This record gives sequence, structure tokens and C-alpha cells, in this order.
Amino acid sequence: MYLYLPVALTSINILVPVGLGLAVGLLSGLFGVGGGFLLTPLLIMFGIPSTVAAATDSNQIVAASTSGTYAHWKVGNVDFKMGLYLLVGGFLGGLFGVQLIKVLKATGNADFVIKITYVLMLGIVGSYMFFESLNSLKKKKGEASAPEKESKFAAMLKKLPLQTRFEKSGVTHSLLLPVIFGGFVGILAAIMGVGGGFLMVPVMVYILRMPMHVVVGTSLFQILFNCIEVTFLQATTNHNVDFILAVLLLLGSTVGAQIGTVFGRKLKGEQLKIILASIVLLVTIKMVFDLTLSPSILLSQAGGH
Amino acid sequence: MKTVKSEKLTVNSLKTAAIAVIALFAGLFISVNTASATLTAKANHDHIKIDFFYHGSTVSISGITDPGTDLIIKIASPEGHEVLKQKGKVGGMLWMNVGTLKFDKTPNLYEIYSTKKLEDLISPEDMDKFVIGYPALSRHVEMEASAKDEDKVKWFGEFIKYKESSKLYATSAGNIELKDKDGNQAYYILTQWPYQAPPGDYLVTVYEVKDGKIIDSAESRVNVEQVGVVKTLSGMAKDNAVLYGIISILSALGAGFGVGLVFRKGGGAH
Repeated sequence: MYLYLPVALTSINILVPVGLGLAVGLLSGLFGVGGGFLLTPLLIMFGIPSTVAAATDSNQIVAASTSGTYAHWKVGNVDFKMGLYLLVGGFLGGLFGVQLIKVLKATGNADFVIKITYVLMLGIVGSYMFFESLNSLKKKKGEASAPEKESKFAAMLKKLPLQTRFEKSGVTHSLLLPVIFGGFVGILAAIMGVGGGFLMVPVMVYILRMPMHVVVGTSLFQILFNCIEVTFLQATTNHNVDFILAVLLLLGSTVGAQIGTVFGRKLKGEQLKIILASIVLLVTIKMVFDLTLSPSILLSQAGGH
Repeated sequence: MKTVKSEKLTVNSLKTAAIAVIALFAGLFISVNTASATLTAKANHDHIKIDFFYHGSTVSISGITDPGTDLIIKIASPEGHEVLKQKGKVGGMLWMNVGTLKFDKTPNLYEIYSTKKLEDLISPEDMDKFVIGYPALSRHVEMEASAKDEDKVKWFGEFIKYKESSKLYATSAGNIELKDKDGNQAYYILTQWPYQAPPGDYLVTVYEVKDGKIIDSAESRVNVEQVGVVKTLSGMAKDNAVLYGIISILSALGAGFGVGLVFRKGGGAH
């Protein structure tokens, strides 16, 4: 059955957004990512204008991450304290990132910088996660990873002021740490026009040393607030949120997020990491192909990226 | 249903008048073959309503012409302005957006149906005069590139590809049915109306062709309009954006929580 989308000004088979929503919601519940890096290009492929796709996606993520955060909170996997500090950092980083884009646009090669940053970040993060979790899966039978050699970096982090205990995650860090790294992800997310879940998850796992299951729940909590802000801004400044499309997507994604959470608990942290890493790497490869293969049409809609 | 009776183009009538004056002066009777105002055009389904379940429509165009004439039917939206991103190779291998192209005097929707191939029907001069066919449209449209790459032919070709891929531009020859009717000729064609065409007024022009010349034309209109839920939502997104944004967010939050509760009660989780 086809429905007409009043803001996208196009008609779509309802099975498409519901199915895509279900798949992306599943990823949210499993890995704590919003899935915008997958869903937005897919929606564009199905004829949704790029600006509407990005804006409506953030509206949909509000629903999926609410559903996911709720499910993770029920089983005690959300570190609200950590989430709040990351949010503060992310918010500040976002403000800075938006300014940075203006500077880039003025120099005229914004698109080049954005695309290259995106591909490099995806590639580096994906490969690092992939090989790291592969290694730890191999030597799983040994120690649980307790006496890992304290790197100089880790020692330095311990010397920072304002050390505090994050009970849920079982780690002690300086308050500055989540704020700074949240800010860093915020800047990149703003530049790349994505939610940044795929960057936030590795930051929490490798720099903040949080257990994978808490990472997923906390990331969703953080994404929820991010996307509320983005949806509001998109609706009021660009008028790009398609309510009907969002509803169709969230029909699938809210259910997907619940199923993902249930599945996620059956998997080990390392298994989750390696699957997420593989997905990130696949997206990287797809982007590299998009950049190198000749497009069939050399013109596209202006606005958004 | 509305029928617009043969409206001779002003240009055409001026020409006719000029010829008549010349003929008078020369004291000769020149048989000017302007049509006997037989031509009519009617678009059935001239008011298309976009409702919740809209997935495009069909529009049939029919009417009467003089016997033995050919026809060209043009369906177009009012001319407008369009800005598109231009992809190009950077560093010899990476495809990126390298600039923008501004198109002016371009119709958003442009369809041409003819009884024969355009080249076999009318002269290039008439094509240009009435903007019939892609080559004529390319000469009519004003294009401005932000980059140095100003190959108009290439980029207009890309523009056509872009428009055809979203079904907004189309040309076809030989699909107009012609039949004898009371000594005149009746024509009929059923066209697919693309759902990608936004709300607005569209003009259907039927040109009557004889001996390589356009001798008459008639017009009809198609109006596309949003109704019901679609109209309410799209109006609200523009005119009441804050409320629209808040409703979108609250619905998403509500749906997320709702599904969360259902799953807990249903025993989906533990």
C-alpha cells in the first residue's frame, strides 16, 4: 500500500519505511547507535529528498532511542551520570562544529573535507574495533582483561583533576574526560551531519573503559536528547521533518529497538563490538565505492549532505 | 471537465494579420492555411487531488482537429528556477560535489507527446518559438555554473537525465490515437501523471501541425492540489513549525515509551 508524504512530496510503499525502521531499530537496541549513517542514504535511494531524509531520520531516532533507552534502563544498563556529562560535551561540540562548517563552506571545499573526514573516521574506528575485539575474542579463555598494562595515556588521564566515580559503569574518571570527548564527537557529528553514535560507542568503550552493555544503554540515552534537539531545529528552521514518514519509520524502529535489546543481552560484549565493527566497515567500503565509481547522474538536489 | 476552445496564439494571429496586409497590398488572394478553428483540447481529470493514498494519476487528453493534421501535445508547469549540485572528479579519482548549477526559465514538469518524431514534424524555428523538445528547451533555459566547467550541452543532458529519473520530464512519439470523426479527426492520449509532480497549475497545450508548421493551438489546464490530512500537515509544517516540531517529538517519545511498556507487559524482555 502506498502513502503520500506531505513534506517529502512523494509517495512511498509503506513496507519500505516500516521495514527499514525495523532493521535500523534493531541496530539501535543492539549497539546503541542511531543508525542515521545507514538509514539516511537508504531513504534517499527510495526517492526521499536528502534534506527531508536527514531531518525525518532524527525524528525517528527519538522514538527508537526512547524505546531502546527504556528497555536498557529496565535492566540497569544506563549510566545517567556519564550520559549527562557526555551530553554537555556533545552540546558544546555541536555549537562549535556548526561554526566550523561555516568556515569550511566559506573556503569552498567543505564537501571534500566532510566526505574525507567521514570515510577516514568510519574506516579507522571500524578497523580498530574489529581487530581489537577479534584479539580479545581469541584470548577469551584467559583472564577477563583485568591486569591490562596501564598505558601512558591511561596514566595521564588518572592525573586529571575532578576525579569521580561512575557507579553504573564501574569506572573512575575526571569529569573533564566525558565532557572533552563528548565535545570531540559533537564537533565531528555536526560536521558530518550524523548523530555520532558510531563514534560515541568506541569512545565509551576504549577511552572511558565502560562495559559494552552499559555503553549501549548510555549511548542511546545520549542520542535521545541529541535527536530531540536536532528534530526541533530541523522542524523550525528548515521545515524538513515529514511527520507521516517519521511515524512509518518509528512503527518499525521502536519494535526493532526492543528486539535488539533482548538479542543484545544474549551476546557477549566482544561479539557485539565485532558485529558493529563489521557494519561500520561495510558502510566505509560502500562509501569508498560511491566516491570512486562514476555516478549515473551528475546532478543532485542542493541542500543537505 | 472543462474545455477551452481553440485559442489562436497571438504570435500566430499577428503573423496572419501581417500576411493578410501584404496580400492586400499586392492585390492578390493568398490562401492562408490557418485552421478553421476546429481544434479543441480537453484534459479529463483536470483537478487532481493529493490525498493520503495518492500515488500519481492518469490524465487523458482528447479533442478534435482538422483532418490530416499532426499533433504535438505539451504538458508543462510554469517556468521556474532550480539549483542543483554538480558532481565532478576531484584529484582524478574521487566523485564529489564540485559546485552548483542554477537553471532559470525551466519548467519543473515538461512532457511532450507527438504523433510523429518532432524532427519530422516541425522546423527547428517553430520548435524554438514554442519551446518544443529538449533541444529547443536547452536553448530556452538559462544556465549558470559556479565552477569553470561550463559545458552547457553536457550539463543540460544531465539535467534531462535527472528530471527523467524522477518522471518529471518525458517525451514520446507515436502514442497519440487518431480517428476519423464526422469528417474531422479525433485524437486521444492517456498519460501517466507522476506523483513526483508537486501541487500547482499545469498547462496542456495542443499544437496542430501541417506541412512542417504549427497552424493552430488549444489549451487546457490541470490543477493539482493537496487535500485533507496531507494539506493540513504540509501547511502546518510551514506555517506552524514550532507546534509541528513539538508534536513530532512528543509523538516519537510517546511511541517509544508505549512500545517499551507493551514489550515489558508482553514479556518480550525477560
